[in-house]
Amino acid sequence: MTSNGMLIVLMGFMFLFLGYMGVPVAFALIGSVLLVTAFTPISQASMIAQIFNGMDVEALMAVPFFLLVGDLMTSANVTARMIRLSQTLVGHLRGGLAQVVTIFSMFFAGISGSSAADVAVLSRSIAPEMSREGYDRAFSAALIASAATMANLIPPSIMAVVYGATGNVSIGGLFLAGVVPGVVVGIGLMIYSHFFGPIGLKRQRATFGQFSTAAKESAIPLMIPIIIMGGILTGQFTPTEAGIIAVAYIVFIAIPILNIRHLPHLPRDMAMTGLLYSIPLITIGAASAFGWMLAYLRGPAVVSDWIAHAAGGDPTKIMLLLTLLFVVIGDFIDAIPAIIIFMPLIIDLTKNADINQVHMGAVIITTLAFGLITPPYGLCLLMASKFVGVKFSRAMLASLPIYVVFFVAIAFTIFFPEVVLWLPKQLLPQSVGCFRAPDGPGWICP
Amino acid sequence: MAGFDSLVLQEQRHLKWRALDPLENVLMILCGVCITAFSVLVLGDVITRAIGRPWLWVQEATMTFFMYGIFIGVGAATRRNDHLYLAVLAESMSGNKRLFFEFFNRLVVLAVAGCMIYYGYLNFLDGFKSLRMPSMTPIATLYAAIPISGVLVALFTIEQMVNGWHHGFADPAGIPEEKRQGL
Repeated sequence: MTSNGMLIVLMGFMFLFLGYMGVPVAFALIGSVLLVTAFTPISQASMIAQIFNGMDVEALMAVPFFLLVGDLMTSANVTARMIRLSQTLVGHLRGGLAQVVTIFSMFFAGISGSSAADVAVLSRSIAPEMSREGYDRAFSAALIASAATMANLIPPSIMAVVYGATGNVSIGGLFLAGVVPGVVVGIGLMIYSHFFGPIGLKRQRATFGQFSTAAKESAIPLMIPIIIMGGILTGQFTPTEAGIIAVAYIVFIAIPILNIRHLPHLPRDMAMTGLLYSIPLITIGAASAFGWMLAYLRGPAVVSDWIAHAAGGDPTKIMLLLTLLFVVIGDFIDAIPAIIIFMPLIIDLTKNADINQVHMGAVIITTLAFGLITPPYGLCLLMASKFVGVKFSRAMLASLPIYVVFFVAIAFTIFFPEVVLWLPKQLLPQSVGCFRAPDGPGWICP
Repeated sequence: MAGFDSLVLQEQRHLKWRALDPLENVLMILCGVCITAFSVLVLGDVITRAIGRPWLWVQEATMTFFMYGIFIGVGAATRRNDHLYLAVLAESMSGNKRLFFEFFNRLVVLAVAGCMIYYGYLNFLDGFKSLRMPSMTPIATLYAAIPISGVLVALFTIEQMVNGWHHGFADPAGIPEEKRQGL
């Protein structure tokens, strides 16, 4: 093995060793990078500066806003209205509460980019009711964790922001390309709950009056996805600006109308979110230094050569091999550092195999969303099992059949690029490499 | 400041000195100030651009609050044990084994904090050679956040090590049942 190869192995081993010993992820990343830097001509000071530069990206400012949107909605208890709407829509079906979990997650995903916020809301609001209705707690935790992954697929998605910001890919295009895999996961979870989940209590179908009342009550929060995506698609706002407009809408319109008594709590919400956003962002900075060192040691180039050689240049095979790699990576590392660390590898393979950048982004993000429920580091499943109060191992067993839903979603995303890229091509054609026809009003797409 | 007392996390009280509670409180308030300030500035940027009178300095000010918010938050998250973890093996252990794991982990964090202080300070000094546009402020003002964060992380890590040594790392109140089942 070359000395570069040994340094890469040392850096990877140190990160996993420290991480699994219980050192916070950001510090495990920085520690392993600084250790390996000592064996290179690079100075430690420049690696510390690299952490800083990794966060000094305008697009990343969208992350706190999408976290803030989810937190404010949850804290002001506005989400309860969306749960009621979900109940009027699907509460009467077999496994009604399980269906409510999925439908609510799809709504919530359109508002917040954070799976963690979704897990927190569902575990506290619907999980106790599911237990009372006789649902197995392990099933509830597995379903809540799986449904929460949709927050990373359906726009706005924090993973898409990070992917776009570090890979120089259109964030708007990634948002739109995430819709199809997100909906496939949602439909898959509903089918699974219907045929294989607990029956739950039989409820009466909601009347049209009940539905319209619930829809009216939810109209204000459900405007948020329209504001975010509308602003981005019309070219009025960047994702960061769309995030702050959504925050302003909640603070100045949604909360005063829906829960005015929550206004005095806003300073506290801001302090908590101020703390909350620093945690993923310092991890992004640390992962950026880790990724930089990996690229300096030519790690991505070597792995990229292996994959390209094994796939023989076939784009589909390359995506399948990358998916396999990211399924393994997602089992051990959080999605955001994984994206940043391996971005040079993704860029290399995307360019060499002439794969559409947005399509590749959708495949990677869907795969990493799956990693949120796989052991040993399935963040959503860890959180859901903790909040619902069930052993992680039991929740993991209950989630095993749900993996099929994700395999289908990932395979669909890989094999049907026309379907995945249909929305971006219609609404944001330039994001997927289309250009204006020189002699007409239309677009020419590769 | 009484209204903000609740911002101090009361979990793992045995690892905290009461004397540092006001610092955690101030850091939490600063986190809130930073996110509020950069939210207001980004909103101001959107509005002033829309009316054709853009603020040229806003990008610089926004990035300052954004970066300071992150580094202050890292300090506060260390005291509140709020960081992202791959595993929390130590919490399910007891006795000397736990003491070893908890101590080792904090030693690593302390070493990284030391690097943030020393190399961050070198970057800070180096930052006087470059200026930020359009205010022409040295970029050192931004780089100062790194060693400051390093000092906070080191301080809170030492606090936990000393208290953990004296009282043990396990919470005397025990791990809440739902958390124990989740481990």
